[in-house]
Amino acid sequence: MKGVIFNVLEEMVEENCGMAVWNDILNQELPEGGIYTAGESYPDEQLFNLVNAVCARTKLPMEKVVGNFGEFLFTQLAARHPVFLESPADLKSFLKSIDSVIHVEVRKLYDNPNLPSFKYSEPDPDLLIMQYRSPRKLCILAEGLIRGAAAHYGQSVEISHPICIHRGADWCDLHIRFLP
Amino acid sequence: MSDNVNPYKQAHTREKAARLKAEQLLEDKSRKLFQQKIKLEESYIKLRQQESAMLQNEQLATLGTLSAGIAHEINNPLAFVLSNMESLNNYTKSFQKLLLLTQELIQTEGIKETEKSLLTDLIEQEDLAFINEDVDELLKDTSDGLHRVRKIINNLRSFSPTQNTDKVETNLLKGLKSTLKLLDSELKGSVDLQLSLLPLPNTLCNPNELNQVFLNLILNAKQATEDTKEATIKISSHYQNDTIFIRIQDNGCGMTDEVKKQIFIPFFTTKPMDKGTGMGMAIAYGIIANHQGKIIIESIEGSGATFEIQLPVIQTKL
Ligand code: HEM
Ligand SMILES: Nc1ncnc2c1ncn2[C@@H]1O[C@H](COP(=O)(O)OP(=O)(O)O)[C@@H](O)[C@H]1O
Ligand SMILES: [Mg+2]
Ligand SMILES: [Zn+2]
Repeated sequence: MKGVIFNVLEEMVEENCGMAVWNDILNQELPEGGIYTAGESYPDEQLFNLVNAVCARTKLPMEKVVGNFGEFLFTQLAARHPVFLESPADLKSFLKSIDSVIHVEVRKLYDNPNLPSFKYSEPDPDLLIMQYRSPRKLCILAEGLIRGAAAHYGQSVEISHPICIHRGADWCDLHIRFLP
Repeated sequence: MSDNVNPYKQAHTREKAARLKAEQLLEDKSRKLFQQKIKLEESYIKLRQQESAMLQNEQLATLGTLSAGIAHEINNPLAFVLSNMESLNNYTKSFQKLLLLTQELIQTEGIKETEKSLLTDLIEQEDLAFINEDVDELLKDTSDGLHRVRKIINNLRSFSPTQNTDKVETNLLKGLKSTLKLLDSELKGSVDLQLSLLPLPNTLCNPNELNQVFLNLILNAKQATEDTKEATIKISSHYQNDTIFIRIQDNGCGMTDEVKKQIFIPFFTTKPMDKGTGMGMAIAYGIIANHQGKIIIESIEGSGATFEIQLPVIQTKL
């Protein structure tokens, strides 16, 4: 996982719990480490361990923390890469650009990033199905990112998750219904 | 500034902002670098292509000059050999007449026996009856061979740059059509010829030479489609941006990249001895180059080939 993701996690913890809490977590989990540079890759488990520690501290369930992190991550990524939000006019076209534009650009910027793949289908104009595939199984993060994007576009959505890697499937289906 | 703000926290916030800015700069540069790398790779590929094209042009130009030089050298002795051959033919006929007369006289009573046997012995010793039969064939084969040499030499000579004075202003469609008429019997029944000829402007050129190019290309197309079921040759012309385009497309055997690379090299052929000389495309190349034009080849092995002649329109000054 790229350092930028860790940076954003640090940002979120600091904003909500204070700098001391982040320091405590690092001291406890990674007494020697905890220094993250945006473009570098770090082991996925480090992120998972840190998130687990955040859950333990805040007594919040994992889903809640990862989901909130996704929303927060979106605002941070959007602030760092405003170009990606320039051309898509609405939420749907933005979401459809993730796989073919945004993450493609990310590949150019960072060496060997670990990115998920998305396939899209639109059974009706108000429903977008995103098929998420990734060995990191971060579908809840994806949900949070989508909520973040929806808030950015001022679009209300209803997200359901009928097929999930965590329930034995090979991929996740994220149903995004666009509400008026 | 109130005193209860933690100075380290303030400094930390500043540092963080600075780092964010530094990362932003790095990303901008990375993106630029990436784009430049792509551009550089593109121009590198282009350069390599041009380099190999240039090398080929140079090789062909050298070959052309060389062949034209050799052709010129051979042509002079060839001219007198050919003319001597003709005299030799006539001289031989005189000797043959003499032999015939002698053979007739031997049969008559007007000659003494001693002289008769002298002549008969000579004819037998020198095997003159056989020589008389064989000499016709020898002379015929020799003359055929020499005429073939002359054809090759003439072909080679077409590599030398033509003088501008040989050029006239004409419409290429005229030449193309007369070439097609010439090939009518060759093509009829075996290939479906599809023409879509858009009008062309007149241009300064050597029409005989260009007709030879058309002939070579169409003959190649015909030969390429010999084993094709619905053999088709499409010939089209159009004019755009001061350039004349003439395209000859067949659905024949096509060629490999390996063949395509060597196609303009004199004597390069993939055809059996009696069918190909390997000179057609070499000559076509020389002629089109003399007209400041290009021949572009596209081919997929097994499904056909397209030859596009591009010629700049040149008008005589008013
Ligand atoms: C401005 C827009 C975005 C940018 C710049 C961006 C960039 C990135 C980056 C840098 C990573 C980390 C790659 C690594 O760790 O090697 C990542 C991962 C990820 N992105 Fe995006 N992203 C954007 C929007 C989104 C959105 C809207 C979604 C919502 C579906 C999404 C889904 C994901 C997921 C789920 C991951 C985690 C890796 C995984 O699941 O395999 N991204 N993205
Ligand atoms: N229309 C064509 N389709 C496929 N191959 C062709 C075509 N035209 C030329 N070639 C290839 O190029 C070679 C050289 O052509 P050319 O110089 O005309 O000599 P030749 O026809 O005597 O072989 C041919 O032997 C053949 O392999
Ligand atoms: Mg030929
Ligand atoms: Zn899932």
